[in-house]
Amino acid sequence: MAEIHPISPNVRIDKRGNVHIPRKNKIRRFNAVDFVLLLILTILAVLIVYPFYNAVLVSFVPNTVYKRYEGIMLIPPEFTWEAYEFTFKSALIWYGFKNSIINTIAGTAYNMTLTILCAYCLTKRNLPGMKLIRVIIIFTMYFNGGLIPYYLLIRDLHLMDTLWSYFLPTGITIYYMLIISNYFKSLPPALEESAKIDGATDIRILWSVTLPLSLPLLATFTLYYAVERWNEWYNAMIFCKSVDKWPLQNVLRTIINDVNMLATQNIPGEAKPDIQGDSIKMSSIIISMAPIMCLYPFLQRYFLSGLTLGAVKE
Amino acid sequence: MSTQSIRRGGKEKFSWKRTRRIMWENRWIYLMLIPVLAYYIIFKYKPMYGIQLAFKDYKLAGIKASPWNNFEHFKYMFVEPQFWPALRNTLIISLLRICFGFPFPIILAILINEVYMPKYKRVLQTIYTFPHFLTWVIMAGIMLNLLGSTGMVRKFFDLFNPEIGENWNLLYSNKSFRAILVISDIWKEAGWGTIIYLAAITGIDPSLYEAATIDGANRWQQMRFITLPGMISMIAIQFVLRVGAVMEGGFDQIFNLYTAPVYETGDIIDTYIYRLSFVKSSGINLGFPVAVGLFKNVINFILLMLANFVTKALGQETVL
Repeated sequence: MAEIHPISPNVRIDKRGNVHIPRKNKIRRFNAVDFVLLLILTILAVLIVYPFYNAVLVSFVPNTVYKRYEGIMLIPPEFTWEAYEFTFKSALIWYGFKNSIINTIAGTAYNMTLTILCAYCLTKRNLPGMKLIRVIIIFTMYFNGGLIPYYLLIRDLHLMDTLWSYFLPTGITIYYMLIISNYFKSLPPALEESAKIDGATDIRILWSVTLPLSLPLLATFTLYYAVERWNEWYNAMIFCKSVDKWPLQNVLRTIINDVNMLATQNIPGEAKPDIQGDSIKMSSIIISMAPIMCLYPFLQRYFLSGLTLGAVKE
Repeated sequence: MSTQSIRRGGKEKFSWKRTRRIMWENRWIYLMLIPVLAYYIIFKYKPMYGIQLAFKDYKLAGIKASPWNNFEHFKYMFVEPQFWPALRNTLIISLLRICFGFPFPIILAILINEVYMPKYKRVLQTIYTFPHFLTWVIMAGIMLNLLGSTGMVRKFFDLFNPEIGENWNLLYSNKSFRAILVISDIWKEAGWGTIIYLAAITGIDPSLYEAATIDGANRWQQMRFITLPGMISMIAIQFVLRVGAVMEGGFDQIFNLYTAPVYETGDIIDTYIYRLSFVKSSGINLGFPVAVGLFKNVINFILLMLANFVTKALGQETVL
């Protein structure tokens, strides 16, 4: 049996008195295996990025040049802002931005309010009726009414053609809610008890004790919800027929299906979408990707931490 | 859950008086629950009431006024020409995704874990996970351009063999559509899928690696005998959950990519229900898509319950 070295627990001495220093303490050599590994991973990264880069190219290179180009284009031979100018002139894109921003802010606030309330209440598992409420909530994770009843519901609530129909029906993502709830439950109960003795109501406790203690976690899930609301298109597609209430994704869908739709919203006579159709499509894609593309590298660690929280039990 | 629900002092008789007192003491909790329950009742349970349309002939007058129709929709479902292909496609596409898409993040996670340059690792991870945050609307828009007849993929093949480009219809061909679905799904989601496995790898005791190094295990052996076994329970759980969701063929992706020529191989239950419901030309009674939806939901429910049961048996804490 190896015995543990008295100074460093990592260094072991075996029966014969040989000293074993774990590899971690040595300087690692960059060998052929590392090289192949990095090569594979880098090629994969290039494959993932290339389609996006290609979209950027199509949006900047004049379409006639792009179409005639043979082989893989890596550097734009010619450069023009035309497609972007055209896209930004369209009222549709601006409607899209406005509605997406409203939907993201209002929707995320609504999501977080409901989720926090629900998560907090579910920590009180011993109260009468709570088990039933838990089952009622979780059951909706596994079963739903289906498309037509959902549509009829929104129609009967008179939410058709309103921005409300985008976020009101998607209030709580149960998976997120349960992670938050588990976190609330893991906070020391003494804090809550002492606040209670001081005469605080449960709402007060939630606001002044529980929430300030969970800010990093809540930030993560706020981001998750914000991305979901920003990416909204499905509800808008089924419930909203007026173009000026569409979020960005739906505007984009329309442009991809038919560039001329964008032209009709522009000043007549100025548009030649058929000539530069692809550039316009790609420029609108880049424009709608831009906010996430710019923010993601900075917020990445928050995004990743959320998923890990759900995966690894303490 | 079970240990907490046992009241202190063992069995206690249920009394209304006591219950009422506890409820009154915690009235604020119940007050906070009101908006939550209102949300669930209105937006989740109210639509379930509409499921009865599956057994009714829908009339414009409303759900209540529609007459019962003696399972006509279900009888029709089994003779409707597009139903079986849709069901078959859902299962085939899901199975393809499980065969090819499921192992991908596992392998990728093991490879990423072997990179010893923290900064470059972070850059790679940023690139891999980024597409997850975009919608299929954007992804499909890029793909339509890339794979279309003037796209870069065709130009790439033209370099080697111009004949390939002559009948270029990658997106509209039943031969290639499913492959495109599986590959583009890997493109978008594989990086995101690695995170959960990387978390599992972080949980492995580092002294195992040290011991293995001392015993002379090389990197491949460490990967094979420490990393992989350390991930295996997470892989099992993810696999069960994935199989449980086999009825979900990926509506967002297919809906944004498919066209009438590829209905034969690409039409899944969800897109089928969507077309029945909203494409007016079908002229079908609206109770029918509800019946198809119910059919799918019931199978889905059973599978998810089974998956939940199995993951519990595997030792994972589950939500129920």
